[in-house]
Amino acid sequence: MRAPVEWLRELIEFKLSPENLAFRLTMAGLEVEAIERLGDDTVLEVNVTPNRPDCLSILGIAREVSALLDVPLKFPDFRIKEENGESAVLVEIIDEDLCYRYAGRNIHGVTMGDSPEWMKKRLEKCGMRPINNIVDITNYVLLEMGHPLHAFDWDRLKGSRIMVARSRPGGKITTLDGTERSLPDDALLICDAERPVAVAGVMGGADSEVTEETKNVFLESAYFFPASIRRTSKALGLKTESSYRFERGTDIELLETALDRAASLMEEIAGGKVSKRVDVYPRPRKAKSINVRYEKVNKILGASIADGEMVDIARRLGLNVSRDSSSFIVTPPSFRTDLQREIDVIEEIARLYGYEKIPVAIPRVPITKEAGDTLHRHVSTISEFFRFAGFTEAINYSFMDLRMLDVLNIGSGDLRRGTVILRNPLNEAESHLRTMLIPSLIQNLVYNVSMGSRDVRLFEISRVFISKGEALPDELHHVGALYVREKAPSLWKEEVPDFYVVKGVIEALMNELKVDNYAFPRSSEPFLHPGKSCDITVADRMIGFIGVLHPDVIGKLDLKLTKPEILVIEINLEELLPLVSEKAKYVSIPKYPHIDRDIALIVDEAIPASAIIDQMRAYPSDLIEGVSIFDFYKGKNIPEGKKSLAFTLRYRAKDRTLTDSEIESLHDSLVKYITGKTGGIVRGV
Amino acid sequence: MADINDIKKSFVDDLNSAGTSADLQRLRVKYLGKKGLITSQLKLLSTVPPEEKPVFGKLLNEIRSFIESEIDAKDLHIKDLERGRIIASGAIDVTLPGKYTLPGRPHPISAVLREMIDIFVSMGFDIEVGPEVELDFYNFEALNIPKDHPARDMQDTFYITDDVILRTQTSPVQVRTMERSKPPLKFISPGKVYRCDADVTHSPMFHQVEGLMVDTGISFSDLKGVLEVFVHRMFSKETPVRFRPSFFPFTEPSAEVDIGCILCGGRGCRICKGSGWLEVLGAGMVHPRVFEMVGYDPEVYTGFAFGVGVERITMLKYAIDDIRMFYENDIRFLRQF
Repeated sequence: MRAPVEWLRELIEFKLSPENLAFRLTMAGLEVEAIERLGDDTVLEVNVTPNRPDCLSILGIAREVSALLDVPLKFPDFRIKEENGESAVLVEIIDEDLCYRYAGRNIHGVTMGDSPEWMKKRLEKCGMRPINNIVDITNYVLLEMGHPLHAFDWDRLKGSRIMVARSRPGGKITTLDGTERSLPDDALLICDAERPVAVAGVMGGADSEVTEETKNVFLESAYFFPASIRRTSKALGLKTESSYRFERGTDIELLETALDRAASLMEEIAGGKVSKRVDVYPRPRKAKSINVRYEKVNKILGASIADGEMVDIARRLGLNVSRDSSSFIVTPPSFRTDLQREIDVIEEIARLYGYEKIPVAIPRVPITKEAGDTLHRHVSTISEFFRFAGFTEAINYSFMDLRMLDVLNIGSGDLRRGTVILRNPLNEAESHLRTMLIPSLIQNLVYNVSMGSRDVRLFEISRVFISKGEALPDELHHVGALYVREKAPSLWKEEVPDFYVVKGVIEALMNELKVDNYAFPRSSEPFLHPGKSCDITVADRMIGFIGVLHPDVIGKLDLKLTKPEILVIEINLEELLPLVSEKAKYVSIPKYPHIDRDIALIVDEAIPASAIIDQMRAYPSDLIEGVSIFDFYKGKNIPEGKKSLAFTLRYRAKDRTLTDSEIESLHDSLVKYITGKTGGIVRGV
Repeated sequence: MADINDIKKSFVDDLNSAGTSADLQRLRVKYLGKKGLITSQLKLLSTVPPEEKPVFGKLLNEIRSFIESEIDAKDLHIKDLERGRIIASGAIDVTLPGKYTLPGRPHPISAVLREMIDIFVSMGFDIEVGPEVELDFYNFEALNIPKDHPARDMQDTFYITDDVILRTQTSPVQVRTMERSKPPLKFISPGKVYRCDADVTHSPMFHQVEGLMVDTGISFSDLKGVLEVFVHRMFSKETPVRFRPSFFPFTEPSAEVDIGCILCGGRGCRICKGSGWLEVLGAGMVHPRVFEMVGYDPEVYTGFAFGVGVERITMLKYAIDDIRMFYENDIRFLRQF
């Protein structure tokens, strides 16, 4: 709401500078967002919160200033010259649930023309464009008193009748902006004897609007049910000064004053003759009383405001007050539709008393008995872990471009096709919720590479959304990561293939989280290189994947990397976190020494190392404590299609020191067993 | 019988020219060995007249100990030198850089979010979470924002269906938590929220930390205290805080919380639009209607709620002027935090 200070001064006297006035209003809840100098006047841009429709006018703001400064309000002064004789119009409210009151006056014999300069100026200062004297007067009164009015061309209304009724299915109207609109169901309409002539409270119809030729005007001032106006305005996508005020709630008592004010201006400015008022008001508003307990006010605020001061604040606000020993009763005026219960009045007292005067305290509340949130703690651990493994944290929108699922070859039966779809997305690429994180990370890669980065290591911990047809989707915390590094000369050489670097991060993470029983079987994810990818399983449940992006996928990306090998990881934390053990298990330190023996095997390339280790571990002897792999070699001296793997076996007995000869025979038979199982041969013997 | 003094003299010469442990070993053999010069003299002792024996024997023993200790001392010295040489030859260039994996950086939003969470947790607040795809009921209706209420204009909403939305605030977590627990309650609900809006200062997704405290006797002055502590710990003890009336449907009285502009120190600048103040938090006493909806008696319990935007605080903290930077995930940006 734009409020010219000059106009405000007409309704209230104050000595404050515009800046100080702005500060006082702001600190009382009417935030002045900007102070604009316009010629010799200053306009305050006031942000009026939705609970205060009474402040959407100069009068309303003046009333606030009056309460703040305890200075009386000067109500706009006018006198109406009525003609004798009844109004020619017959008003009928059909749907009384949507229209509580409908009043009007006929103004005959108006001379159309421009408005006087003072009026045009005020309209312009408030951001309105002057049109003609009749329309300008309705707008002027809207700004002055906050009540929307509508002027019809009386001669274009049929049958001297006004009916206020709900729309019927299939109805249409051309509004005065020249647009033909289909009327939504349940929209409240103003109709003449034949057709709708206005969408009530929103916009008038084109074929009853006031024009240069207008001679006779029918001026409407009504109260419409706020929610109905809002629904209609939303459905039509049409927001007007009028609908904005009606949907917030107008002053049902003031509407006759606004009507008379406008009619008197039409008489004065356009030379019209004003008829008597028609006023259909089937169920007049009953003023509601609110009991306010002195003690409650101070209890809620933590203040010690004197009883008398509370009553005085209520009085300054224009509330009717009667005092009692432990409470006072207020009756809010018709413009304060927001004051419904005790707490509303408490807020008013706090507001005018001044928030800054309420003391500062520190609450005392019992400590919490339950354990805190473990999810937050685990997420922090994992996040720190990825960071120290060299990954920088990304945060992406939860939105996804559905086409990314096509890029990743995600099939139609895949759960990740179960996207949540936004009805009103900002754009097509942000119209679905993510079902996985790596599409976003891949897009981050494309962006960063286009910006010249060649070292992109990112991770993100966020929710993905899988719809299974219920009202709400499953929301699953995932961690996703992406690793791309173009080899650059470096001081300390380390020739570890990227896949194993990334896999090592996950193995170390499992160790950190004390999760065991995990494995890395080959993956069949459609977007991963089939030979360079694995699933991550824990106790045979798949919880995620690690792998190199499939060359076909990379081919579909706009990526300018010379030899891109893009590693991606994604893990469902909902599956992983329940497996995290919170407690370390103490095992007594072995009393007897171990003996290590090595074995190098040449086996078929196709045999996974993990299978050989599993077989060694499964060998029936309780003296085998552990198996680790320490060498992998392919190439010179190894036949084509074969590879060499070298293992260290650690032997230990729980109850004695093992002898060399004892281990010799056990190791020999294990070697025999494993060469038999794998069809391999012992290398270098 | 050779002159013992000659032997001693020749030993001293030999010792001076010995440079290695091996030289010393040779000297040991030459003088003290089975056929060594001193040993041979000892063998001659029987031929010495009885009255001269004690003097001669004593002399021989003295020279023998002298040779032994001199050789031992020089041996020790030589070994020290050798160890020194070995250690010196093992020196490396300690100025070459070490090998490490450069740690990644936390996203600035995460870092600030964690800072906020730590402050509230240290004040005794618990953490509660809830769904991001939320029922209209929890996001609006249970928070005293019925359908067709103009307060809905305060937040542009992404709709999934008529009744399902992307939460526009983390307040629905407050309702869900109150529904399943009884007071006293004190928790924060951090998380992502969504609004259908995008420009330099608005992002369709952003982060909030909302807090709730409910018990008997919680007042507006408690709210002032808790938020003042938060601001002082988040920014500095000197940062001024002011509360001014505002409107949120789920709190009453409601407040906007401003802090003295951290960029200009309150003198007025572009960021604070010359006012010297920055609006950083929304807060208020929980509306009795919200308590009634979850079955709490507003005559018994009172409480306060607040909400703070993480992006807003992060932008102020690092003087970032475009909110979209946070979601481009440009490595060159992310590495700065």
